[in-house]
Amino acid sequence: MLPEFFALLGIDVFLTLSLLSCLLDDRLPKAIPYLYQVAALVGYGHLLISREFLVIFGEYMRFWYCFIYLLVALSNVVAVNVYFAVAKGLWSLAKVWSGAVTFPTILICMFFVSSYSFVQEATLPLITLQIGLVISAIVMGISICLLLSPETMRNAFRRERR
Amino acid sequence: MELRKMPSKKPVKFLTLLLTSLLIATASAAVYYSLTMTSTISVATPSVYFVKGADNVTAGVSLSADNRSAQLTQLKAYPNVTTTYEDPIRVRNNHTLSSFNIRLRHVSLSGAATNFIFVNFTLMGTSERKLVYTSNGTAWTLPSSPTSWILIPNITAWSIKVETKAKAGATADTVTIGITVDVA
Repeated sequence: MLPEFFALLGIDVFLTLSLLSCLLDDRLPKAIPYLYQVAALVGYGHLLISREFLVIFGEYMRFWYCFIYLLVALSNVVAVNVYFAVAKGLWSLAKVWSGAVTFPTILICMFFVSSYSFVQEATLPLITLQIGLVISAIVMGISICLLLSPETMRNAFRRERR
Repeated sequence: MELRKMPSKKPVKFLTLLLTSLLIATASAAVYYSLTMTSTISVATPSVYFVKGADNVTAGVSLSADNRSAQLTQLKAYPNVTTTYEDPIRVRNNHTLSSFNIRLRHVSLSGAATNFIFVNFTLMGTSERKLVYTSNGTAWTLPSSPTSWILIPNITAWSIKVETKAKAGATADTVTIGITVDVA
């Protein structure tokens, strides 16, 4: 796996965010989907530059700038979650978002980062990543159980109607 | 046209974003794919090379700067006597982990056959590998094929023994033999 894989992952996260924020445009600022598209385009440019200067930039440096880009994408996912919960007070939507978007995304990213760290002899502390992986998996599992229970869904729909 | 019949803004916006997203994702994946096909090739030092043996002075061994070729200029063949140089030069595998297959192979021979009987090169490994050059007084018989491969373990040096014999009554003649050590 090349370090640029994290940039690719970051681009996909931004694009997903863009589409989701378009679907929820009545709850988010109108410009947000376009901003995320621009962020994905920046990532694309980032990949192009990385390809051109592959020999000059060492693997260590390449890993870090790609990983930082991925972190920015992930922090945006969390920021949207926080925005729903705190700024908008949409608790049910924030919970759904965390269970369906935030934790699955973190889980996938942590999985790839930990497997990369394992192969590249611990660029990042492996134990921390594995703990994060387990926590994300547990939270995602609980969220799925809660979200898919018929009672919770019924209650959520009732609250939305009110 | 009535406004109500116009398509809603949201699906159009979503479709546009979906298309651009697909475009960006595909282009990024293509760049990543081209990255995975980029190869970086660096110059490596060979792990198998020549080193001088215990009889190097007698045999007149001189090594190239990178130890990848050697010349043995003081080898003698005495009339009706087999002369053996037990350890003029060695083949060393300096790799810390890997073993390599090596063999001896004939490259060239120049010089008259009149006064020689044989010249033999033997790789003294776990089992011997021998290149035999014999003369019938008029022409040389060259090794028909390279020796079979033999695995030289890591951090090991094996000597190449040289045996020579000249015809009875021989006084002068020279032969130049080129052999190579193949590494696989």
